[in-house]
Amino acid sequence: MAQPATRQREITTIAWLFLGFPLLLISIFVFFPIAFSFLISFFDWNLVTNQRRFVGVDNYTKLLGDALFWKSARNTVLYTIGVVPLQTFLALFLAFVMNQKIRGRGFFRLAFYVPAITSSVVTSTLFIALFSKQGLINQMTGLENDWLTNPRTAMLTIMANNIWTTSGYFMVSFLAGLQSIPDSLYEAARIDGASAWQQFWKITVPMVRPVTYFVLVLGLIGCFQVFDQIFIMSAGGPVNSTTTMSYYVYINGFKYFKLGYAAAAAMVLAVVIFSANQLQNKYFKPEVD
Amino acid sequence: MATVEIRHLVKQYPGAAKPTIPDANLTIEDRSFVVLVGPSGCGKSTLLRMIAGLEAISGGDLLIDGQRINDLSPKDRDIAMVFQNYALYPHMSVYENMAFGLKLRKFPKAEIDQRVRAAADILGMNELLERKPKAMSGGQRQRVAIGRAIVREPKVFLFDEPLSNLDAKLRVQMRVEIKRLHQRLKATMVYVTHDQVEAMTMGDKIVVMKAGIIQQVDSPMSLYHNPANLFVAGFIGSPSMNFSRGQLVSENGALRFTNQTFNFQLPPNQADSLKSQVGKEVIFGFRPESMYDTRFPSGKTLTDPQRITIDVTEPIGSETFVYFTLDGQTGCMRVPSDIRYQPDEVITVGFDTGRLYFFDPQTELRLG
Amino acid sequence: MQRLHLQKLVFYAVLLLMTAVYIGPFIYQFFISISHSKDVFGSPGNLIQPPNWTLQNYANVWVDLPFKQWLVNSVFITVVQTITNVFFSALAGFVFARLDFPGRRFIFGLLLSSLTVPGIILLVPKFIFMNDLRLVNTYTGLIIPNLVTITNIFLMKQFFETIPKDLEEAALIDGCSYFRIFWQIFLPVSTPALAAVAIYTFQGSWNEFLWPVIISITSDHFTLPVGVGFLKNQFQSDWPLLMAGTLLITLPTLCIFLVFQRYFVQGIAASGGKE
Repeated sequence: MAQPATRQREITTIAWLFLGFPLLLISIFVFFPIAFSFLISFFDWNLVTNQRRFVGVDNYTKLLGDALFWKSARNTVLYTIGVVPLQTFLALFLAFVMNQKIRGRGFFRLAFYVPAITSSVVTSTLFIALFSKQGLINQMTGLENDWLTNPRTAMLTIMANNIWTTSGYFMVSFLAGLQSIPDSLYEAARIDGASAWQQFWKITVPMVRPVTYFVLVLGLIGCFQVFDQIFIMSAGGPVNSTTTMSYYVYINGFKYFKLGYAAAAAMVLAVVIFSANQLQNKYFKPEVD
Repeated sequence: MATVEIRHLVKQYPGAAKPTIPDANLTIEDRSFVVLVGPSGCGKSTLLRMIAGLEAISGGDLLIDGQRINDLSPKDRDIAMVFQNYALYPHMSVYENMAFGLKLRKFPKAEIDQRVRAAADILGMNELLERKPKAMSGGQRQRVAIGRAIVREPKVFLFDEPLSNLDAKLRVQMRVEIKRLHQRLKATMVYVTHDQVEAMTMGDKIVVMKAGIIQQVDSPMSLYHNPANLFVAGFIGSPSMNFSRGQLVSENGALRFTNQTFNFQLPPNQADSLKSQVGKEVIFGFRPESMYDTRFPSGKTLTDPQRITIDVTEPIGSETFVYFTLDGQTGCMRVPSDIRYQPDEVITVGFDTGRLYFFDPQTELRLG
Repeated sequence: MQRLHLQKLVFYAVLLLMTAVYIGPFIYQFFISISHSKDVFGSPGNLIQPPNWTLQNYANVWVDLPFKQWLVNSVFITVVQTITNVFFSALAGFVFARLDFPGRRFIFGLLLSSLTVPGIILLVPKFIFMNDLRLVNTYTGLIIPNLVTITNIFLMKQFFETIPKDLEEAALIDGCSYFRIFWQIFLPVSTPALAAVAIYTFQGSWNEFLWPVIISITSDHFTLPVGVGFLKNQFQSDWPLLMAGTLLITLPTLCIFLVFQRYFVQGIAASGGKE
């Protein structure tokens, strides 16, 4: 919209007045750190000894030579592959169930959503209790597995935690998508003789595709950066079986204070996430109508 | 009370190839009700919004009471506007909605109260003053929007398609109310609509626009009887004017219009003014109500009888619309409802000789 | 009819099973938190017998641990961040939704693309800033990086864009300045969006773990999640105490959710529906 000159001046003044402080904060804590992070990754930047030495690509070559880094990368990818599809499907399924005419819908929605609004520290602590050697899970299944100290099951337990907490969260996204599907579509399908199951696969799933894409993107970004659960439940162990890339960044940066090295690891993680997003865009992005 | 003058007004959006309004000139007399009408995209709303100060003016002058107001902000122009979507503040009551503009202008409380109540009186909304817009019907909301304009006692009222969102019955009722309001307030009002019936019924003066250009400014009836060009002739009137392409030929000293369907002699006075067009192609226009079946008395002087073939008839109760094939398209004729025709029936008709219109196919201007 | 009946039965069985999976753990947590005995992992049957119940664990959380200090820290940080987020994201959202000025598209594009950058790479630079400014282990250091978040700005922008243009123009003609339009017209009609932003920020701040765990060094600057995270290592054997503590952390978000459920769902719908 074109404006009279005097009003355009007023608009510009107000715009900068309103935008100034938020933009300053975002510049300091988002824009600038992005560039700065890249710079740091070429330095040996140690806070303890307070030394800053330019080392070129040394951090990156060291990183690629570290077996633990490769292990953490592998763990991260496995974790993401394990969690994202399940959480997405479960969220859609829950939303589909919630979208039926059921009594006490508000209660069920709350029930499914509570894990999502609970602090990750709390759910992680809770999972330690549930999955400990004498915990409820073993009691109910009759197993005697110590889930979190067994390298074969520690990651699985953490994955279960994440699926449990995020599926309820994404359920709400799907629910909004489902409610925008007109009833007449289901009515037409019923007249055509589609069963409930067929209706789910032939109408619901394709119609919520934009939401699915959104959930996949967010889920993937979240999974690649999983940290809280690892920190509380396993601290990367046992035998590094749950060390993920973000945890690797954390211990190097904030335990050993090798900030340059940590920044390099974070850059690599960012590149991985970015590439995964590109793949997603290529194969899953719904066409814009 | 105010006169609005529009002199060589230009609207050019940045980046657009052509100006939306290349050069508009118009004088809106004090206390008149002027309707801007035209199809969507003709620039009528843009022109109104330039008067309001909501759109920047790219060139030319805009004057209210002789004072140039191009650069004044909307609040300083002493205008009030009624929007298509009512634009009521949803979080304020009817009273607060109407009082808001006065409060901002620092009117004393007592005067605000008196003005709001007077406006509510005029619009019959005294009981609704404490309601929120959400709790009202579309007609009531539009009344509040009008009330908000009335309390301001502005120099000029601007209406931007205020009735478009109402259902047909309510629209007719509100049309009457707005007209009554104009008679009562005797204020200058500028009204935008795409509906030519609304324009005809409400305006003292109608401004017909097309593609950013003012086509004709006139009173409703002279617009109807003396359209300046093909567009105005087709746009004003419902059902719209029929058109038929043909030639003017001279025969035995008389002028005739001829094509595949029609062949008739022009009345002498019209023949005089069209003499220069002999041998040229013209577009002949006639309204559905100015053609008559020759079997029944019409009380009019009719042209030579012409034969047409009935296609479909549409009785609407008070009268009947009869459609016939005309140059491969459909023409329309209005007849009293007691006349019945069969499909494919061939009838003989004549045109009222006082209501024949001829247009230049190139310039689309009226020839006579 | 028979088949329909069966279908319904299966449906409700699935529903109940899912419900058990999603809230069962919290019920388990609750019973541990009121357990008399420290040996909570015997048979689950013992937990649900009233003679074994006690509220002593909650009292212990309050008295024995620096819980009060952490609560004060968490409340302070969360309240400040929630208020500033609502305020700043409304301001910025209004600009992007309604005020056209030179450079708007560029700045907005910058914000948009920075959303695709994973937060993990911001960690090291942010810590270095804080360290250089001597803000490590301070409230300022805990609070300022999250005074405004880009997603909240988007949420507000999207909501403001749904407000009809007419309303703004009517206000202009009524004599409003742009600041007044923001303050007296846009804000009052945007309570659902403002509430959604407030609730999100509250939940996010309250549960935030990574940044506080990095920036707070000593116990007096811990937030509740960080404090409980450390407790976990110290009191690994005292499960009733741990469960009472974690349950207390959950209560505020749960209450807020119950009260403002409507806005919660609207907010997710708004942020998830369009992308």
